[in-house]
Amino acid sequence: MGLASYEGIKLTFGVLATVGLYTVLYRENKFYRFFEHMFLGLAAGWMLVALWTETLKASWWDIMVGRQPEGDTPGAPGYWILAILLPIGLMGYFVFSKKHNWISRVPIGIIIGLWAGQQFDAWMQKYGPQIQASTKPIFPTTMDSMTRPWTDYPAGSAQALPPETIAAIKSNVYLSQALTNLIALVTVICVLAYFIFSVDWKGNKAAGAVTKTGRYLLMVGFGAIFGSTVMMRFSLLIDRMYFVWIEWLKHTVLGIPG
Amino acid sequence: MTLGEKLLSIKRETLFMILILATSIPLFFNVTLPNQPKPEAISFFEAANGLKEGDTVIIQSDWTEGTRGESRGSMDALLRILTRRGVKFAILSVADPQAPEVARNVMADINKERAKEGKQPYRKWDDWVELGFFPNGEALGKSISANLRNAVGSKLDGPDGGAKKPVFESPVLKDIKLISDVDMYFVVTGTKSIIIAIERFAKQTKMAGMVTGVMGPETYNYYVSGQLVGLVAGLKGVYDVESQMAETYKGEGEVNLDKGTKYIFTLHVGIFLLILAVVIGNVGVFLTRGAKK
Repeated sequence: MGLASYEGIKLTFGVLATVGLYTVLYRENKFYRFFEHMFLGLAAGWMLVALWTETLKASWWDIMVGRQPEGDTPGAPGYWILAILLPIGLMGYFVFSKKHNWISRVPIGIIIGLWAGQQFDAWMQKYGPQIQASTKPIFPTTMDSMTRPWTDYPAGSAQALPPETIAAIKSNVYLSQALTNLIALVTVICVLAYFIFSVDWKGNKAAGAVTKTGRYLLMVGFGAIFGSTVMMRFSLLIDRMYFVWIEWLKHTVLGIPG
Repeated sequence: MTLGEKLLSIKRETLFMILILATSIPLFFNVTLPNQPKPEAISFFEAANGLKEGDTVIIQSDWTEGTRGESRGSMDALLRILTRRGVKFAILSVADPQAPEVARNVMADINKERAKEGKQPYRKWDDWVELGFFPNGEALGKSISANLRNAVGSKLDGPDGGAKKPVFESPVLKDIKLISDVDMYFVVTGTKSIIIAIERFAKQTKMAGMVTGVMGPETYNYYVSGQLVGLVAGLKGVYDVESQMAETYKGEGEVNLDKGTKYIFTLHVGIFLLILAVVIGNVGVFLTRGAKK
């Protein structure tokens, strides 16, 4: 694959776009603006086409109009009742009319109603298992070892333990696990207490200490999320550099494999 | 100008240039760091690698070039495992209309790789199918939880260059009706679409996630509670899976250590630079305040 090939031209354009977008680090400039607008235009155009090809055609139009038998593929009857979705959807555009914008509330109401109805089940499926998992033993069942012996060796490796040994180890609560569970329990209680805004805690030193601890523990959580976010941003930059230096320069321009 | 003031007045452009160099130069050196995979990544690998030939899984591919740095490595590793195990799969997307095209390109690259390894390509329609893009993850999830066939059955697909037919006529999905008939559901995402999927149907099938570093801490809760059977978070997660693949698959020419392994050393260099910058900044502030006093 050389620079003159289709792949080479595509990669070269990708490098130009990458460099163009990174020039904003120096200062705002027309080169950056050009590629920014190009990206936005491409994304909007892609979205429009995909909306029809991937969604409306496959999930609405084709079902509505049905299908003629073709070769060994049987036909399908049309479901013209789906045509009713078109005027409901178009009602959304009345939001631009001062006189009739109330009509736009019909599709919005349908969407909100459907979404709200799902939330009961979604909430339970999301938090139910987590609430259950929050109830953990806080007293150790064995003092044989401070920490639980490592069992998560890849299957088939030399260190892999027999299943019965793993089951015996996993059934015990070791001191370090009990402490971890205690910290988790304290965190859950303190953080939940922090969000009780309907009670005035002023003057109650114990409750104040609990909510303050909750605030600090939240900050620890936010710190972990921030750290992961920074790592992710680094990964994206590294990938762009890999694209420019290795995929384009080394493999395409210089023709060095590997 | 005092030393503290000098430390605080390093030009922004200089820092960016150092950052670019720090994230570029290490890429030219093949440095492999020692690794101890995290339990959630081990669980992920064991779950994916435990699938048998002929099993059927669904991959929800919700990433595009914007998160290529982490998601591409995840997707590559997952597809390598599934294709080596002979697992049939269907790919769908809910988060971005560009995601199906990106997944298609990755699959094409995996087939090129298989050709180099002397293996048969993974055939569209017979071994895998595309379900395309669905614009509303919440509605699709609810629909999937009720009846998978009704939820995605309107989509057409076919062999490369062949006529398109309803996807449930394909050898991949012909025996599947409900989400519980699917052996596993994987979500490779650069968004929070995995949480929408968990909310709707995680209890009906085994679900595993490959998420970006940003979503890692938030998604970890669902692994601890058992809602996910495995989790790969960020570049470290990709490196963990690749390390386990290298331990398990030793076939001639098989690619195991790829993006995660290539990037992890550079990531360490970058983070070291970041810590150094924070230290320099703090020393600068400390010295400047001391001088003022």
